[in-house]
Amino acid sequence: MASPMCVGTSILDTGARKAPAAGPAEAQAGVPGMFGLPNVANPAAFCSANLGCGYGTDHAQDIKFAKGTTTLAFKFQGGIIVSVDSRSTMGPYIASGTVKKVIEINPYLLGTMAGGAADCSFWERNLGIQCRMYELRNKERISVAAASKLLSNTMSQYRGYGLSMGTMVAGWDKTGPQLYYCDDDGTRLHGNLFSVGSGSTYAYGVLDTHYKYDMTDEEAIELGKRAIYHATHRDAYSGSINNVYIVKPTGWVKVHAGDVNDMHYKLAEEKAAIAASRAGAEEKAP
Amino acid sequence: MARRYDSSTTTFSPEGRLHQVEYAIEAINNAGTCVGILAKDGIIMAAERKVVSKLLAPSKTSEKTYRLYENASCVVAGLTADANLLVNHARVSAQRYLYQYGEQMPLEQLVKEVCNYKQAYTQFGGLRPFGVSFLFTGWDEHHGFQLYHSDPSGNYGGWKATAIGANNQAGKALLKTDYVEESSVDECLKLAVKVLNKTMDSTTPSPEKMEFTTITRVNGKIVHKILTDEESDKILKEVAAETATQGDV
Amino acid sequence: MDTLLGIAGEGFVVLAADAQVARSILLYKNNMDKIAHLADNKALACAGPQSDCVSFTEYISKNMALYELNNDVKLTTKAAATFIRGELAKALRKGPFQTQLLMGGVDKREAGKDEASLFWLDYLGTLQKVPYGAHGYGAAFTLSVMDREYVKGLSLDEALGIIDNCIKELHTRFLIAQKNFVIKVVTAEGIKVVRGPPTPDLGAAGASAEAAAVPVQG
Repeated sequence: MASPMCVGTSILDTGARKAPAAGPAEAQAGVPGMFGLPNVANPAAFCSANLGCGYGTDHAQDIKFAKGTTTLAFKFQGGIIVSVDSRSTMGPYIASGTVKKVIEINPYLLGTMAGGAADCSFWERNLGIQCRMYELRNKERISVAAASKLLSNTMSQYRGYGLSMGTMVAGWDKTGPQLYYCDDDGTRLHGNLFSVGSGSTYAYGVLDTHYKYDMTDEEAIELGKRAIYHATHRDAYSGSINNVYIVKPTGWVKVHAGDVNDMHYKLAEEKAAIAASRAGAEEKAP
Repeated sequence: MARRYDSSTTTFSPEGRLHQVEYAIEAINNAGTCVGILAKDGIIMAAERKVVSKLLAPSKTSEKTYRLYENASCVVAGLTADANLLVNHARVSAQRYLYQYGEQMPLEQLVKEVCNYKQAYTQFGGLRPFGVSFLFTGWDEHHGFQLYHSDPSGNYGGWKATAIGANNQAGKALLKTDYVEESSVDECLKLAVKVLNKTMDSTTPSPEKMEFTTITRVNGKIVHKILTDEESDKILKEVAAETATQGDV
Repeated sequence: MDTLLGIAGEGFVVLAADAQVARSILLYKNNMDKIAHLADNKALACAGPQSDCVSFTEYISKNMALYELNNDVKLTTKAAATFIRGELAKALRKGPFQTQLLMGGVDKREAGKDEASLFWLDYLGTLQKVPYGAHGYGAAFTLSVMDREYVKGLSLDEALGIIDNCIKELHTRFLIAQKNFVIKVVTAEGIKVVRGPPTPDLGAAGASAEAAAVPVQG
C-alpha cells in the first residue's frame, strides 16, 4: 500500500494505470464506471498535496491539466444560447484547438466544459448515465434542476479531491428553459446568464452590455458569438473554433461552428466600413 | 409439543401468539400494585411495598419510584433488577436529549425510547423480555402533566388514571367509578389510598407498606416529592376516617 | 463577503441578508435568497460558500422535518438552535461547514405572549442568544448602528427602520457593493417576506417561468 503512485511523463499516463500491479488495487483500477483514485492511504490528501490544477500551479508537476476556456450561456425569450470556444492549453502550450466544450448529455440537456477537460468529460458522461437511469425508472425526462443537483451532489462528494470543473447545465423541461451553474466545490446556482473560464470576465463585459431578454433567435446567437469572440481576443488561453447551441422546447440544436480568427477579420472589416462611412458623413456634413 | 412455542421469545405460536411475552405480562400481575392518577395541578403515583421479611432493612426513601430527570419519574411493577437497566437507559436518553437540544426531553419521547428498547427483546435472538411494567409520570411544555403505562411487549398508552400489578382489575374498576377529572393532588392521593386498600387486601394499611410520589409545578419549576412516612400516615388516617363515617350513614 | 443582520423584538424577529453570490473578483448572482424557512415560525440566514450554505440548511431542515414526523411535536427555537450548534461542532473536526448563521424563531407560549428569539452561530459551534446581531464584514459597520438604535420592546416598524439604516450605512461606507438585500419577518403566525430577491429583468413570460422554477433556497 505504501508504494507511491508512479506517474509517467505523458499526459495519458494516468495514476491508476501505472500503479504497481498488486491484488485488489489492480482489480479496482479496471472497474468500468469506477472513478480511479491514487492507490495511497488518503487519496484526498494526496490529490490536494500533489495535484495542483489552478492557473500556474501545475507547471512543475508531471500531470499537466488541459484547461483555459471561455464558455457562456444565457436565457432569452426564445430559449437558451450556449456558446463556447475550443482551445485547450497546458501552460503556454496550445494542446488542442478542436475541443468540444459543449457536452451533449441527452437531446434536451447540455453541459459545458471549463476547468479540467477530463473531469468535465468524465462527470458529465456520468451525469448522462444518471439522467438516463432516471428516465427509465420514472418514465419521464429529468428536470434541469434535478440533473444539475445530481452533478453538484457528485461535486460535493468529491470535494477536496482536487476535481476542477466549472459547468453550466442548460435544458428545457416542464417548467421551461432552465440554466444552472455548478462547480467543483459544490456550488449550484440558478440564473439566466453565466460565463465560466479564464476568459469569462471578457465575455461578461460584452454580454451584460448588450443582453436583452427580448432578443430574436438571430440576435441572441450573434450575441453569443460576439461575446466568445471578444473573450478569445483578450484571453490568450481561449480561441480557435466557436461552437454555438440553442436550446428550444424540442431540444437543443447546434447552430454555429466557426473560427474566431475568421470572425476577427470579418468584424474588423465591418468596423472599418463603419468608420469609413462616418468619416464620409463628417466630410459631407460641414 | 406445547412447549415448542414457549421457549423462544421470537417465535410465534400457530395461534399467532408470543407466549414468553404474555408470560412476562402475566408475571407483573403478581407484583406489588402501582397506581397513577392525573390531577388538575399535578400528578400522583402510589405503590405497594411488599414486606418480604421483618429482618430485611427497609429502603431509605423509595423502593419503586425512580426519578428519571428534571421533569419525570416512574414507578415499577415487576422485576426490579430488570427495571434498573431500563431506568438507567431512560436516564441516559433524557440526558442525551438535554445535551443535543438544550431542553428537557418531552415525556412521550422518553416513554417511546424505553418501549423501543423493550420491544427489541421480544423480537431478537432468544433473549427473554423485560419483566417490567412502568407508570411514567411527568410534565412537558407540549402536553402538560402526563401519565403513561408501558408493558413488557413494548406497548404503551396514555391514561388519566390507571393501576398495574396485583389486583389491577379491581383497582381500575374503583378508579373508573371514583375518578373525578380536575381534582386536586390531595384528593387524588386519597383516591390512590382507596385503590391500594382494595388491591392489597391487607388488614391494616400502614405507611411502611406504601409509597407516594407527587409531581407538581411551582413557579415554572417541576417539583418531585416522595412523601415521608408521617405524611403518608396522615393521608391513610384521613381516608380511614372518611370511610368510617361513610359506613355510619 | 456576505452580510447578515437580525433584530429580535417582542413577538417578531427581523432577518436581513444580502443577495450576492461572489467568488474571487466575480459576482455570479445578485438575487440569491440566503434566508431559509426551516419551519413556519423559524428562519435561518446563512452566509459562507453557497455549497456549504445549501447543503447545511438542507441537512438541518430535513432533520427537523424528520423530528416532527417521529415525535408529533415541533422543536422550539432554542432546541433547534442547540441542535444546529451540535451539528456544526460535530462537523468541525471532520470537514467543517464554512457557515455563519443567524437563526430567528417565534414560539407560542402559554400566556399568549409569543417568545421571539434570535441566535448567533458560527462554524466553530458558537451559539449565543442575542437581541440583535450581524455577521460578515457588514457587522463592522452595522453593529454600532444597532447598539445605538436598539431599545428593548421596540416595534416592528422601528426594527425595520434600523435594518434600513444599517443597509444605508453599508451602501455609504462598505467597499463591496451589496446592491440587493432580502428582508424577512418571523412571527408565530409565519414568515413574511418584506423584501424578496429581485427577479431579473426578463420579459413577462420569463418572469413567470422564473417564479415557478425557483424554490426558496436556490
